Amino acid sequence: MATVQVSEAEKVYILHGIRDDLRVDGRSCEDYRHMEIETDVVSNTDGSAKVTLGHTVVLVGIKAEIGKPRPMVPDEGYLEFFVDCSANATPEFEGRGGEELGTELSNTLYKVFNNKRSLDMKSLCISPGEHCWLLYVDVLLLQCDGNLYDAISIAVKAALFNTKIPRVHISADDEGGKEIELSDDPYDCVRINVENVPCIVTLCKVGHRHVVDATLQEKACSVASLIISVTHKGTVTCVRKVGGGSLDPESIFEMTEAGKRVGKALHAPLMKLLQQEESLGKKRQKVGFLG
Amino acid sequence: MPTDNKRVRRPEVSQSPSVFACRPAAVLPAAGPRADGRRRDQVDVRPVFVRCGLVSQAKGSAYIEAGNSKLMCCVYGPRETDRKDETDMKCGRLITDMRFAPFSCPERGSWIQGSEEKDLSLMLQESLRPAVCLHRYPRSQVEVNVMVLENSGSVLSHAITCASLALADAGIEMYDLVLGCSIRQDGASYMVDPTYLEENGCSSGSEDNQGRLTVAFLPSLNQISGLQSDGEMAEETLTAGVRTCIEGCYKLYPVIQQALAKATRKAAPPPSES
Repeated sequence: MATVQVSEAEKVYILHGIRDDLRVDGRSCEDYRHMEIETDVVSNTDGSAKVTLGHTVVLVGIKAEIGKPRPMVPDEGYLEFFVDCSANATPEFEGRGGEELGTELSNTLYKVFNNKRSLDMKSLCISPGEHCWLLYVDVLLLQCDGNLYDAISIAVKAALFNTKIPRVHISADDEGGKEIELSDDPYDCVRINVENVPCIVTLCKVGHRHVVDATLQEKACSVASLIISVTHKGTVTCVRKVGGGSLDPESIFEMTEAGKRVGKALHAPLMKLLQQEESLGKKRQKVGFLG
Repeated sequence: MPTDNKRVRRPEVSQSPSVFACRPAAVLPAAGPRADGRRRDQVDVRPVFVRCGLVSQAKGSAYIEAGNSKLMCCVYGPRETDRKDETDMKCGRLITDMRFAPFSCPERGSWIQGSEEKDLSLMLQESLRPAVCLHRYPRSQVEVNVMVLENSGSVLSHAITCASLALADAGIEMYDLVLGCSIRQDGASYMVDPTYLEENGCSSGSEDNQGRLTVAFLPSLNQISGLQSDGEMAEETLTAGVRTCIEGCYKLYPVIQQALAKATRKAAPPPSES
């Protein structure tokens, strides 16, 4: 990942600030940076969203395609995640440099959605055992300034909210075979229920405390962080320790509790914002990428 | 998907015959003892068999068997780093590679490392790194290779235990051993050290609190070096699960210590009294 060099004196300054619940940019330990969300930014996708968190910019595009259901679960569709760390973000990602981070991020996304409640996979089924929708969730990192997990998960949720899957009808032809017919009306589409889609909260252990939404400088001062994905009800769908250090059990319990609190509080404003943006329809002022 | 031209190619698409089985997918019984006679809601880890130093070519190696799960691990190094551009002057690198033998799971896997194996390798690396004194090996790398011979559940936790044992056997300086333990939460009850069926079977009971959790633990430092969960659990359940896993690790600790002591005694027998 993109790294910054932080001198010892700077580290002490950051550490002491966090001890007193005051961070370098004036936030307290459980505050997020300024966040901007815009949906429907790429017209060629079925759903897309761009999330800006501090200087981290993430773009998510969702494409729906018709495929064959997995043999073990014939009545469910599925999601495919791919995270691309483009060389735009940092030169380190050039060539195959970003591959490792990309796989790590996409594997985490699979884990976050690996339960029956996050998304209703049965609603993605067209005809059991034969056809289902598979959603390709492609994540593009445009700028890296720490806290990728949170930004990506919020962008994925926003893009899923924005996704419009065209309605299909199954009709039997003369020989008894099934035929798929796509609706002619481009506005005739199905939406996905994203109520239970979790958001990831990353907690960075700095000194004896933990901070939410760490910047790269703060990340350089921490040895380990915990990522927790929380649903709007406060249930946890994935926990993972990342980084090279270890944590003592008590601080893990404190961090999961804080993660649950922060994550739960994140959902209501996010959904409100998404619905507001949706209701504006065509009147919405588009910001785009240079806003 | 990259294709491998050097091996005998299989048909483009083939399926395991189990897909066509008439019986429904395995369902876990909601209560009562588990299939192998262990009890639910008890820290009942499978008895393990561990040995060090099986592979003579490797610097250190270990083999672990828990129920039908069989894994082996080899450690090579410390040696010069392969990639010169990533040489770290202050700190060594720990490289982990975890692979499933193609025949290890009920369904055949491929020879090429899949994303699941890459993810497990990363988890293994993150769990082991806090325990290894990498600053003692500047400009060098230590390689840890884990091969799963038979997958009968909880492979990650046993891989962590096995790898730390192999590292110790190789004489790599460490702060502590790393022990792994996993649980499967099924509604209100839990199963420690789940088998493959228990890990992947769907529950017959409620849909609340279904999840899997793996913890890597440094017993004498009382630190958690690795934590991973999926599924859906309440926060309280998760916390209780972590505590259970720590308890499970303590149960393994004497066995691992004994195996290590035995291997060390064999490698360097104590001087005779006479």
